[in-house]
Formats: sequence, structure tokens, C-alpha cells
Amino acid sequence: MSMEYRLRLAKRMLFNKKGSLIGAVLAVTIGILVIHVNFVIFQGLFDAIVRDISNYRNGDILVTDEADYIDKSDLALANWFERIPFVQGATPRLSSSAEINMTKNGKLIEETRVPVVGVDPYRDVKASTAHETVAEGTYILNRNSVVLGNNVASDLGNAQVGESLKMLIVDRYGEDQVRRFTVAGIVKSPGGQGLDYSVVMHIDTLRDMMAREGESGSFMVKLNDPTKAFEVKEFFLAAYPNDDFIAETIEESAEEQLAGFRSGIAMINLIGYFGMMSSAFAIVTIQMMLVNGKTREIGVMRSIGAKRKDILIIFIFQGMIIGAIGAGVGTAAGLGYTIYAKETKMSFMNSIPLEVNYNWEKIIQTALLSFTLAIIASLYPSYRATKLLPVEAMRTV
Amino acid sequence: MTKIYGIGENQVKALDDATFSIGQGEFVLIVGSSGSGKSTLLNMIGLLDRPTKGKVFIDGIDTTKLDDNKISSFRNKKLGFIFQFSNLLTDLTVLENVLLPRQIGGTNGSSEKDARELLKSVGLESQLNKRANKISGGQAQRVAIARGLINHPSVVLADEPTGNLDSVTSGIIIQLMKSMAKKLNQTFIIVTHEPEHFGDVDKIITIKDGRALEGNHLREEEIIA
Ligand SMILES: Nc1ncnc2c1ncn2[C@@H]1O[C@H](COP(=O)(O)OP(=O)(O)O)[C@@H](O)[C@H]1O
Ligand SMILES: [Mg+2]
Repeated sequence: MSMEYRLRLAKRMLFNKKGSLIGAVLAVTIGILVIHVNFVIFQGLFDAIVRDISNYRNGDILVTDEADYIDKSDLALANWFERIPFVQGATPRLSSSAEINMTKNGKLIEETRVPVVGVDPYRDVKASTAHETVAEGTYILNRNSVVLGNNVASDLGNAQVGESLKMLIVDRYGEDQVRRFTVAGIVKSPGGQGLDYSVVMHIDTLRDMMAREGESGSFMVKLNDPTKAFEVKEFFLAAYPNDDFIAETIEESAEEQLAGFRSGIAMINLIGYFGMMSSAFAIVTIQMMLVNGKTREIGVMRSIGAKRKDILIIFIFQGMIIGAIGAGVGTAAGLGYTIYAKETKMSFMNSIPLEVNYNWEKIIQTALLSFTLAIIASLYPSYRATKLLPVEAMRTV
Repeated sequence: MTKIYGIGENQVKALDDATFSIGQGEFVLIVGSSGSGKSTLLNMIGLLDRPTKGKVFIDGIDTTKLDDNKISSFRNKKLGFIFQFSNLLTDLTVLENVLLPRQIGGTNGSSEKDARELLKSVGLESQLNKRANKISGGQAQRVAIARGLINHPSVVLADEPTGNLDSVTSGIIIQLMKSMAKKLNQTFIIVTHEPEHFGDVDKIITIKDGRALEGNHLREEEIIA
């Protein structure tokens, strides 16, 4: 029997059993779809968090000092980075924590241990999108104003733009430094991954209050081509071999926050693959039914000379057809969902918008995997079909 | 040959050293009461099953020595089958069913022409492209006859080919087999429980107590049975 003829018989038998065909294809499709949906949602969430950490806090590369604060001048470092064509911007940041007093409706509200971020208003806009999260008022910034994170503002009894507050910061010598500021704006980011829990102020004011003239806590570097992060980082470290700098790509700097999430995704992927396995079992069952339903036909073919190998290949072809159609439909459905999620900037309950990417490698891998699984699933039923004796087959009416 | 089904206490000796020979071109009936071992015998001759003891020679070849693949080829090239029920692949058309032995064994340029000719000679030229599950029982048996003949086998085997048909259709199929046998000088071995409908045949083998009795006339007890 020629291969073409075996394929033709396989197709005929399968397409005349629409119900079984649809069932088996659906099993493959659902297996693939589950993987795609999982990927869109959980990898999308993961990537969204990475995106926001990168955009608001760590850049694509985060430079810190091994032991202490960075004491290289802003100008020197920013200029060094911005000479590199991949670099979009580089900006210093400084962090501390503060105690804030605010009088609201004659009542004094006090908040302690509020994170404070010092930013350079001119450089920051090139390296971070934090300024785009301003919900009210303006982003900074003169030296007497602060921008409140949305959550800080509400903790302070719903602080408004234009109101004033008093801030206490302990300087490097242990002295309390107190100053009065005006609220210039309020920032609020989707999903709260921005500076929603912090107070943002001019970096020079913060340096002043901390008694750290010219020092920075970190330098965040934003690239216009994030894939070059490792290269730029290595280049930087090589350029400053004696300065005890630590430079980390976003994957490295955000690792601590993402480690748990990462293992969660691994778990979910595992569940997806279990789903695929159960699709495979569904195919085994459906194909066993197909084989049983064709007992007589198999007997007829065998009695007029078809070999065991012919029968085996006919049913494996059926597995391949099921796998191919299922992989096609499943991938199309999965891509449909992915495109939908990307175009609508899907988010859940107004939270962080998913960062949806087309991971072609994974898409193709998933399709191939389910195709392969369908074929493997068809092996046992096909083998069983070859074990039917022609004489047994003839006995069934 | 001898055929024993089952093991131990459940053993059934369906055939007990049944021995006979059939010549080229003979039209042979196998008769016997129900459960006497007619189908068993036909399955042995058709190489669908192996005898427990004994040998089956076809065209001088000892078929008991062949492996599964060789037996498949042998069935394809040297044997034609007509069964009682649903002989056909319902997923295929009438023409495709007749072509099936050629597809299995390897086609040649004239296959389709041969199949059309055979279908014409069994009177189905107008049904070629009908699906096999859309034709009547009598038509299905005609298709089976055409399919059984397409590879010019040494012998066509039929197990109660009219057992499922009404008496008029049954008579037509019997006449068709007889005329094809004559026209092609084709050996036929037919299991039947109504030998009287066949008229004159070359040989009648009666199975009784697992043994084969050859003759060319019906015995007394069979006419009664
Ligand atoms: N596969 C089998 N297993 C066990 N016994 C069988 C089997 N096939 C047939 N038999 C027995 O062998 C005997 C002959 O059966 P069979 O050849 O079908 O008879 P017939 O075709 O003459 O009616 C019967 O007793 C039947 O029950
Ligand atoms: Mg029988």
C-alpha cells in the first residue's frame, strides 16, 4: 500500500467520523489554548512588573556602589552613559525615609517611615516614565515642592495639590532635619508599581537634608534597545574598574522581587503541560473508539491483504492529522487571544496592564509539542489495531 | 487439517483431520449443519487462521510455512473473499472498494479499467461513485464479487454470501457467481446452508464431526436439513 493511499484511507475514515475528529481536535486545541492563555496572563503579568520596575525604578541597568553611596558626579556618569548610542538617558536617584506631618482640617496627621525618592527633574524624564504617572498637579519640581504618591496622599487624609507639609529626615550624622514643602502633584500608576507609596522630591534637596552633597544612591540607565543591557553593563564595569560599582541588568536588579513569581509561572506552566497530557489521553480514548468502530473494516482490509504495517501507519496518520489540525486551530485560537490581550492592553480589575509579547519560539514549540503528543497518543490505539485478527474482525456484524 | 479452539476443558475440536483437495476451476460447495466447522474450514483455506495441525497447500505452496507479511501478500494475490455481512469499506466508493486489493498489493495502469469492467459485468456500472454504505445488500455482494475477482486469484472463498439476502436476490447472486466462475474459469469455494439453490456444482464437501466428506451430490440428510 502506498503512503499516499494510506494517508487517503486515514483521512477518509477520520473525516467520516466528524464527532470523533472534532472531539480529538478540540482536545489538542484546548491543550494549546490553555498554555497560550496562561502565558498571556502570567508571563504578561511578570513582564508587566519587570517593565514597571524598569520604567519607574531600576531602568534597564541599575548602578549602585558596592558599599556605600555613589560619589562620582552626576554629570560625569550621565555623560559617560549618554555617549553610548543605545542609551536613552541616565539619571541619579537617592532614597531615604521620612516622617511627615500635615495639618488637615485643623487635625494633625503624622506618617512615619515614608520612603522618599530624590530625583533629578531634568535627567529623570529621559530615563524614567515616573513623570507620566502624574494624576494631579505637576511633576517636580523646584526645591521646595514634593510630589506625593497616591497612597501617601490618601494616608495623609487625602492631601491635595497646593497644600503644605512638614518632613523630617535624619541626616548622616544622626541629626533631625526638618523642612516644609508644598505638594506639587500626585502620582498614581496603574497597578501601583510606580512611586505610589513614596514621596518624590528634588535630589539636591534630599542630598542637602541627608548631608550627602554630590552623592547618589543609584544611577538608573534606560536604553532604547534593552537587549543591549548586558553589553552596556559590561562596558561600564570595564570602564570603571576601580570604583566598586555594581551594575545590574533589570533581570538581576529585580530578581529578588521576581523570584517567587518566577516559580509561580513555572508551576502554572507545569499545570499547562499536565493539561496537554490529558489532551493526549483524550486522544488515546477517542482513537481507541475509532479503532473499535473500525474493527470490521480493519478485518476486511487485512483479509484482502493489508499488512500490519499498513494498518499501523493508517492510524498513526490519523494521529498526525488530529495533531496537525489541533495544533493549527489551537495556535490560531491562542494567537487570537494573545492579539486581543495585546490590542486591548488587557488588565485585570483595573490593575497593571499586561505586557503581552509574541514569544514565537514558545508558540512554535507548543504547537510542535502538541503535534508530537498527538502522534505519540495514537501509537497505542494504532498498535492495538494491528493486533486485530482478520478472523476476529469478520465475526463482528 | 485439525483445528482445536480454546484450551483445557473448554477445548472445541472444530475440525478433526479434515482432508480434501480441489482442482483449478472447480465450483465447490461446503455444507454441513450449523456449528459443524464450515467457517472454520474456510478460514483455514483463506489463511485467516492457522490450523492446529495439518497443512494447507495452495498452488502447490505450503502456506503454513509463511510469515504474517507473506500471508498477507498471499491473500492479496491468490485469494478473493466474499463474506456474509458488510464486506465493504463504507468510507470508500463502490469503485474504490473494488480497487482496494490493487491499492494494497500495488496498482498498475489498467487497474481502474479492470475495476470498471468487473463492475460492469456484475451490473453495477451505474453505481461506481456511490459510497459503499449507500447501496443495497445485494449490490454490496456484487461489489464484493468484483473485488474478489480483480486480482485474478487462484480461488475465491465465500462464507454464506447469500445468508443475509432475500431469496430472489440470493438466487441472482448465486447465478452471478456461477456465471463468473464459468466465464473466467475461476475456482470458487462457497460455504452455504442452502446448497439446493446452486444446482449442479463440481464438488460438494460435507463437514460432519469435524471430518470432510467429498462428493458431487447432496447427501440424503442434507436435503432434509
Ligand atoms: N474463535 C473460536 N473460539 C472457540 N470456539 C470457536 C471459535 N470459532 C468457532 N468455534 C466453535 O467451533 C465450532 C465450529 O464453528 P464454525 O466453524 O463457525 O461453524 P459453522 O460455520 O459451520 O456454523 C463451533 O462449535 C463453534 O462454537
Ligand atoms: Mg459459519
